[in-house]
Amino acid sequence: MIPRNPGSSTGRGANAFAAAENEPMTKVLLIEDDSETAEEISAELADRGFEVEWSASGIEGLDKARSSRPDAMIVDRLLPGIDGLTVIEALRKDQVRTPVLVLSALGAVDDRVRGLRMGGDDYLTKPFALVELVARVEALLRRPAESRETTLRVGPLELDLIERTAKRGDRMIDLLPREFRLLEYMMQRSDQLLTRAMLLEEVWNYKFVPATNLVDVHMGRLRHKVDGPGESPMIHNVRGAGFILRTGP
Amino acid sequence: MGQAHIIRSNTFRWALAVAGVFAVFVIVLFGFIYWQADQYLIARSDKMIGSQLNFIAGLPSERRLGAINDHLKQDSRGVQYAGLFGADGRKIAGNLERFPPDLQVNDSVQSISVERTLPAGRETHVVRAIARHMPNGDALVIGREVDETREISHVVAQALALGLLPALCLCLLAGAWLSMRAQKRVEEVNQRVQRIIAGDLRERLPHRDVNEPFSRLAVIVNGMLDEMETMIHALAGVGNDIAHDLRTPLTRARLALERGRTNATTLEQLQTVVDKAIANIDQSLAIITALLRLAEIENSRRSAAVGTVSLHEMLREVCDIYEPIAENKSIDLRVGLQQRLSVRGDRDLLFEAVANLVDNAIKFTPEGGRVDIELIRGDNETAVRVTDTGPGINDQEREAVLRRFYRSDKIRSAPGVGLGLNLVAAIVKLHGFRLAIHPGPGGRLEVICPDHQSG
Repeated sequence: MIPRNPGSSTGRGANAFAAAENEPMTKVLLIEDDSETAEEISAELADRGFEVEWSASGIEGLDKARSSRPDAMIVDRLLPGIDGLTVIEALRKDQVRTPVLVLSALGAVDDRVRGLRMGGDDYLTKPFALVELVARVEALLRRPAESRETTLRVGPLELDLIERTAKRGDRMIDLLPREFRLLEYMMQRSDQLLTRAMLLEEVWNYKFVPATNLVDVHMGRLRHKVDGPGESPMIHNVRGAGFILRTGP
Repeated sequence: MGQAHIIRSNTFRWALAVAGVFAVFVIVLFGFIYWQADQYLIARSDKMIGSQLNFIAGLPSERRLGAINDHLKQDSRGVQYAGLFGADGRKIAGNLERFPPDLQVNDSVQSISVERTLPAGRETHVVRAIARHMPNGDALVIGREVDETREISHVVAQALALGLLPALCLCLLAGAWLSMRAQKRVEEVNQRVQRIIAGDLRERLPHRDVNEPFSRLAVIVNGMLDEMETMIHALAGVGNDIAHDLRTPLTRARLALERGRTNATTLEQLQTVVDKAIANIDQSLAIITALLRLAEIENSRRSAAVGTVSLHEMLREVCDIYEPIAENKSIDLRVGLQQRLSVRGDRDLLFEAVANLVDNAIKFTPEGGRVDIELIRGDNETAVRVTDTGPGINDQEREAVLRRFYRSDKIRSAPGVGLGLNLVAAIVKLHGFRLAIHPGPGGRLEVICPDHQSG
């Protein structure tokens, strides 16, 4: 799951947003045995305003997860001692619901990983782009709350989930089913950086990376419909990283 | 290959067993013949002495003595016995000294032993004899030696020895020869196999006559070796392809970084260089990911995810996804679904296969062209056909496109990793389906799903 041209962006869009929210520092626990990888991830997360704690083994990580109660965890699947998935299972048994992003060198998505995704956690295959990692951690931290709202609103944009209609201000937007699903997903996660891999997995239900840049083409069409002539753009392309839906510039 | 080796060999043991069974059979047969001949001779001599007794007993008493003497005189071989004894047991005539003690005078033929005085001394003989009381009180005894049967048994034993022993020897020799021949073949094969193990992949097993089982086996094994040699060469080729395809982007990345480090004077310049390097590294990683995915599909026995896949729905979805892309290239993407058809399979994988076919078709079709996705019902099979107006795949390229990393020279510049059709082929094979590549002009690929697989 490698986005087309990752790494070229410094992800300022996401960063600007993170700074705008005036919350106490978000704590992330990283359990990763390769110190070089851990160092890069820690540095990147610290740059984005996260407080990072690092453990090099499963047992130590499990202790830290219990004692310091992080907001999110990044866990390598292959660890010395007990493996990453066992750490997560142990925590879940203790009713610790901290969202987890699992990192793995194994590409094969097996049943255990499927269970993980059903539980709201996420899985990222090594090697990955740092933007992708940060975007996924942010997505985990800000999972859309279960809401009974049947209408989604972001700025002038309005999406009626019952009538299946979309409006920007007074202008009706005519959407194809797939475009509707894409816009719904983006509005539930407005102001968040959504990478191409995330969109492929969640909106298109793709289990593989297609050769052609599907997401860009579809996003281009949606943007054409959402951002009419003379209107301020709402769908923003973060170069090399992904897309953000937001009201501001 | 010592003698012990030959004796222990299976072939030789079989020969030995066959020889043993043959010998037992011959002995039983000869025994039976001997027994039958014996019975026949005894019965014949019994009949003879019975009629002789009747003849002599039927004569008037004064002529009996003469008849007995005549009878004995005519017997040149000395096998006849006769005797006439008075009521008090006194010998009247004949060649018996006294009345045989174990002979019953009851007119039936019995086996008795009698003593005989010869110039050489006394001898005991087994004799068939019969006795009858004459009207005047005398007892008449007629007998005949049955030692003839002993002669027969002697002849039979001689025949056995003459016939059976050479036959047995022949059997053993044949066994040893066959065994030695088999050993020699095995040794020959072993030497060749050792050479193959040592790495000489072109070595083959020796064979002569195709009708001989051993040679037929050698031909079969040689066929297998041919197949394996081709596969090993193909694998080696794949290794080279991978190395080459990974090397190209990595070399580009390295060059960009090296030049950037020396020449970049501003941050923007450096960032441009790094972007280029990252893009090239990502290309290498994409190749590795695709290869791993290919290996995963080829090695998997995915059965858990198998269900009924509704092809028309799947094709419509593929079409939905690729329509904007086709439109951007001014390609007319059409989907022809005449009926609702389903097959059994893994939906995600089949989706991936069809998406890859459509992706390829759109990629290789020039602007303004046309791509058709059709669902066809044939004889006992369902087929997904993707047709395009691109360059197509000619006969020479047909095999090659399924090779990893192959990209036609005409389309080298097109983006992609070059493993798309490999993935399709692997998925199709996993399902027991077929991938048909039709010759140009225009591309036409079909995934054919036979019914017996979909049941």
